[in-house]
Amino acid sequence: MDTKNKLKRILVEDLNLEELTPEEIDDSAPLFGDGLGLDSLDAVELVVLVQKHFGIEIKDMEEGRTAFQSVNALAAYIEARLAA
Amino acid sequence: MMRIAIKGIGAVGGFGCGAADLAAALARGVGRVTGLVVPTAQGELQLPAYRAETERLEQFVPKRALRRIDHYSKMALLGAYLALEDGGLLGSDLSRLGVVVASGYGATSTTFAFLDSIIGDGDICASPTHFANSVHNAAAANISIMLGAKGPSLTVSQFDMSVPSALVTARLWLAEARVDAVLFGAVDEASDLIGYLQHRRCGPRHAGAIAPLAGGESSVIGEGSAFLLLTRKDDTPSYCSIDAVETGSLYHGEYSAPGDPLWLLGADGRRELCARYRAAVPAQSRVACYAPIYGSMPAAGAFDLAAAALILRSGRAYPIAGAAGCDMHGNAVPLETESICSLRLAGDNEYAAVTLSRRGE
Amino acid sequence: MTHPWPVAITGLGCICAAGNDLESCMEALYSGRRGPAAPSRFTSGHPTRYPVFEAPGFEEPPELLRTSALALHAAREALSDAGLDAGSLEGVRVGVCVGTTVGSALNNEQFCRDYRAGGDPDLAPIERILRSNPASVIAREFKLTGPCQTVVNACASGTDAVGLAASWIRSGACDAVIAGGADELGRITYNGFISLMITDESPCKPFDANRKGLNLGEGAGMLVLESEELRARRGGRARSFLLGYGSACDAHHLTAPKPDGEGLRAAIAEALSCCGTPAQAVSFVNAHGTGTPDNDRVESRVLADLLPGVPFLSTKGYTGHTLGAAGAIEAVFTVACLERGRIPASAGFSTPDPDLGGTPVTGCTGIAGTVALSESLAFGGNNSVILLGTRGAK
Repeated sequence: MDTKNKLKRILVEDLNLEELTPEEIDDSAPLFGDGLGLDSLDAVELVVLVQKHFGIEIKDMEEGRTAFQSVNALAAYIEARLAA
Repeated sequence: MMRIAIKGIGAVGGFGCGAADLAAALARGVGRVTGLVVPTAQGELQLPAYRAETERLEQFVPKRALRRIDHYSKMALLGAYLALEDGGLLGSDLSRLGVVVASGYGATSTTFAFLDSIIGDGDICASPTHFANSVHNAAAANISIMLGAKGPSLTVSQFDMSVPSALVTARLWLAEARVDAVLFGAVDEASDLIGYLQHRRCGPRHAGAIAPLAGGESSVIGEGSAFLLLTRKDDTPSYCSIDAVETGSLYHGEYSAPGDPLWLLGADGRRELCARYRAAVPAQSRVACYAPIYGSMPAAGAFDLAAAALILRSGRAYPIAGAAGCDMHGNAVPLETESICSLRLAGDNEYAAVTLSRRGE
Repeated sequence: MTHPWPVAITGLGCICAAGNDLESCMEALYSGRRGPAAPSRFTSGHPTRYPVFEAPGFEEPPELLRTSALALHAAREALSDAGLDAGSLEGVRVGVCVGTTVGSALNNEQFCRDYRAGGDPDLAPIERILRSNPASVIAREFKLTGPCQTVVNACASGTDAVGLAASWIRSGACDAVIAGGADELGRITYNGFISLMITDESPCKPFDANRKGLNLGEGAGMLVLESEELRARRGGRARSFLLGYGSACDAHHLTAPKPDGEGLRAAIAEALSCCGTPAQAVSFVNAHGTGTPDNDRVESRVLADLLPGVPFLSTKGYTGHTLGAAGAIEAVFTVACLERGRIPASAGFSTPDPDLGGTPVTGCTGIAGTVALSESLAFGGNNSVILLGTRGAK
């Protein structure tokens, strides 16, 4: 499974977005606020999920803020970190 | 001390959902015992337990808003909404509403889920969502957030005495006019931990039904929430009033209630407390006990108050379920007294007595 | 209510990283001494060793939770300070109201590990928790007969316990109440707060532009509140008075404060209204000041609005965030500062943050007046405030 699809599955399953399927998540939609509607508690949970599923540590929220803009942004961030 | 009124009842448990379901189960005199699967070293055991279902919560809250809310908070939320609905306050301005929640054990499933996140994946994978939801006041916080209740919010955890202890404060808030109404309730959850405790304390054989006054061990794990909408006593209709709340420890003798109330005992099949309950009640008194309808759990204290309110409004006492070893049994009988004393005992000398009545209704 | 505000405080007790009694704590605070360090009593898988504030040298007996042992330690000091002992408490209706977060949670990691590994672990660690309810432990130890309440309102618990206890005295439910809060440090809260990304990997810096979060601490604070009847009967001295209590819920979010501080504003207003205390009478504020970006922003802005120009500080730079104990320890410190007429520097602060409503005091500062406010903000959006005064105290 590619990074984007894996991420979408994680979002739906681990953040309990039960009314959505992974396929319904728009790659470029904002994760927070008006897009998927996630909030600050989801943000820190997402940091742990990225650690758990990809082995990547996001040190602080400054770093997180850029990476968490969308599925596209987060997938690119993860792939860049994995390649480094 | 001023009297307060019970204006609404919301309850969720093995018997179903809402005051009508609770009243129906009390009238039938039987609770619905299903089971709790508990992992043990001998494999999974099925223990008898009362289980609460919370599907009806979706009538009150959009499903999306519940995505992070665990079973513990869902039971509390549903009880809270039902009490508001029953009391006719659903949809009203709740800015002067206080929230008081009592829980004996708190969110034990989520507490374990947080530990599981550490045990399974290491400290760096500790789940912040589970952590935030594992605090005892998560249920009260979720209630305040969902309802927009901006008054004071309090959670009390005093194990078996959580309910009467919290009621002391709910009553004072009304007396001080800090709030105009209090959503007061209790919640406890049947979790792996509670099941394992029961397995180790009472196993290997478990009673299938509570015989609260028979003297042997017959406790059955309970689960659910019971909420009461409380206001200052006024002329508008209510179930009954709460006239007195006494809690503390007795070092000399037993508690004696004024008058000749119907004694509603918190006995719930735990052997160690049965003798204390029997000794606490004066000879020839009228006695009732309804733990067999909702189960053994600290939150049962709030179910007892709800049952007392239902009795006082209808004027008929329900039969005692599991009446073996007790002098009183049979069908619903006219309530021959105007007051009920809900008595709870715990430990060696802790007691609580809540007096409810229809005086002046 | 049978009795009017205020309510006399006749005894104080405290244990935390700053010292194991109130006197040694105040000495540490005024000399600016603090010693956060990596946890010595537990290990963690985090590569970063986040500093904590441990109660130095404190050992709990094996039958009790550390939290409850800390509570007992502070309660003994408070009772002794009030001149009360087992003999003088006989026949007096004394209640206990204690805030905690850890003290009543059925939360034992080793038990859970053994259980999840498929074992049948012994119940001893769980039964120790069931035996250790902090309010019940104090009641049992001193054979107290009044109401017992363990308040679990997260980080506001200690402040709430003190405020609620005042109602018990005012209603005539008790002659005296031992009120306060207690919490221990442990892996569960340590990992939990790190996971929320609100823990500073260096010593915490409340209200500073470079603040990164809190450091956890542990300890207990206890106060003896007494009715005027009991005080008159036994000639008890009032060390200070509780002039008011207010609390309100943001009803906003489980872990984030409401940006406009609505609940905190309501709680401050309620606390001031109890005795009709004008805002101008407040000589300083012992703020919640955890050092997290959100808390300090909201709190300082509310203070700038409601109590402009009033000096404020956070003592968490000396104690760490002691969770359910924090409000009680800070109430005790607030009284001690009023008695001494000066407040210590807000430890950890050096660089003003233009985004905040103001800056805390940077050195030992004399205060003019006899009234101070102590506040707590908590998970679940609880905001709790107490108002303390020394006018008329001996």
